[in-house]
Amino acid sequence: MSDIKRAVSLYSYQDEFYLGKLDLEGCLRETAKTGATGVELLAEQMIRKFPLPIETQEFRDQWFEWMKKYNLTPACYDAFLENRIYDNRTLTLKEQVNMMNRDLRLASLLGFPVLRTLVSTPMDVIEGSLPYAEEVGVKIGLEVHAPFSLNSGWADGYMEMIKRTGTKHFGFVPDMGIFCKNIPDVLRDKARRQGAKEECIKIVDDAYANRVAKGFTKIKYDLNLGKANMEYRMANGMQEMMDAVKAAGGGPADLAYAGASFTYSWSEPQDIIDNIDYIFHTHAKFYNVHEDLEETAVALPEVIDAYKKAGYTGFLSSEYEGGEHLRADMEVDSIEQVRRHQAAMQKWID
Amino acid sequence: MAGRPIYNPSSFKNVEENGQVVGYSFDWKAQYYRSFTLSILRDIILKVDGVDVNREDITITVNGETFTLEECRTVIDPEYRWEFGEYATVTVKKEGGLAKGNHTIEGIQKIAPSYMPFVIEAPCNTTFQI
Repeated sequence: MSDIKRAVSLYSYQDEFYLGKLDLEGCLRETAKTGATGVELLAEQMIRKFPLPIETQEFRDQWFEWMKKYNLTPACYDAFLENRIYDNRTLTLKEQVNMMNRDLRLASLLGFPVLRTLVSTPMDVIEGSLPYAEEVGVKIGLEVHAPFSLNSGWADGYMEMIKRTGTKHFGFVPDMGIFCKNIPDVLRDKARRQGAKEECIKIVDDAYANRVAKGFTKIKYDLNLGKANMEYRMANGMQEMMDAVKAAGGGPADLAYAGASFTYSWSEPQDIIDNIDYIFHTHAKFYNVHEDLEETAVALPEVIDAYKKAGYTGFLSSEYEGGEHLRADMEVDSIEQVRRHQAAMQKWID
Repeated sequence: MAGRPIYNPSSFKNVEENGQVVGYSFDWKAQYYRSFTLSILRDIILKVDGVDVNREDITITVNGETFTLEECRTVIDPEYRWEFGEYATVTVKKEGGLAKGNHTIEGIQKIAPSYMPFVIEAPCNTTFQI
């Protein structure tokens, strides 16, 4: 029996929320129905007039009443460091640290033990926020989202900081999009609806399989994310793949599919075991779980197995992202997708 | 099956001021997954019936306050976030408004979340009736 816990990121329910079918409490109710015990919140997604309500006792009372009513525990607070809130400059280091500290405080007010920060957060902002993180007892977890990965030059930069400062309040939040053995079927189906050619789809799928087989060339640490990402793509054969798609007569739908294939990556699940002491929370990203509980892109059995071997006791938090490939053409059923994904995770955790 | 709506189909209408039709307006939702300050709404590009709309003729109304796109650059108060899943009203200045009948709109929302290395450009196209 493993001590791995299941959570749902309310991000998963964004299509129902957008349409007004679910409000914040509705999302919590649906989360509880799946058997998950943890909740992950994007305050800016579901709390109007962010951050004002969180400052009020009334809202916080309501929040904790919901936690009790639905037997849920706050698992992770997803922050967005809006350090380019103005179009003519980036906030100064002190402004950014103040913003991070504000978010740490908001997370702690709502009972979250972990705050997810994004890869665009400068290292010195994280370092500058560590004393306050310690004070309020909230750990900062840097999301490891494709194209980034653990056990990489990029991650080494952060490991160096952890070792140098000796902090226990900074670590990682892996996103399972880094464990994709295949391109999600919902992306491929969308490409087909948009008129992509089977020949071009095959070129892209074969190139992806080749990257998985060969191992992805890892991304470097560079605050210029656009530049780092482009270098990463080129090092992983994007140009050759694009040329092949064009030579096969690929049009906009084919090229869009080819470009989007770089949104996914494959890391060895061993990376989880190697870094387990620094993993505070996990985004169990997924794209499409079929009725038979198979998720076609993320290698869920292998990844969960690695978490079990590592002795992980944190949350695996369902983060449904398949809706973005459906919503222009059809209705999205996030509730059913999350239900299936939770059942799939439970199957592999047991 | 139908996709997720962006525009409120019943919101397209001409706008009157002192008995004169001075423009038209519509309601739409932001094509992004969280609320944001208007300062990161970096632009709205509109083409109506194939004709480009001047940027200066566009205003956006959120929570009862109306801003030009130039003014949006400094709007950071929580009162005026463009909430996720909620409509904002766009008003376009145009003497005489739009003629009764069918029209097309090709819109682009440019949103710049700080963590993204590029600006999101969400195409928002539809046909509508005045």
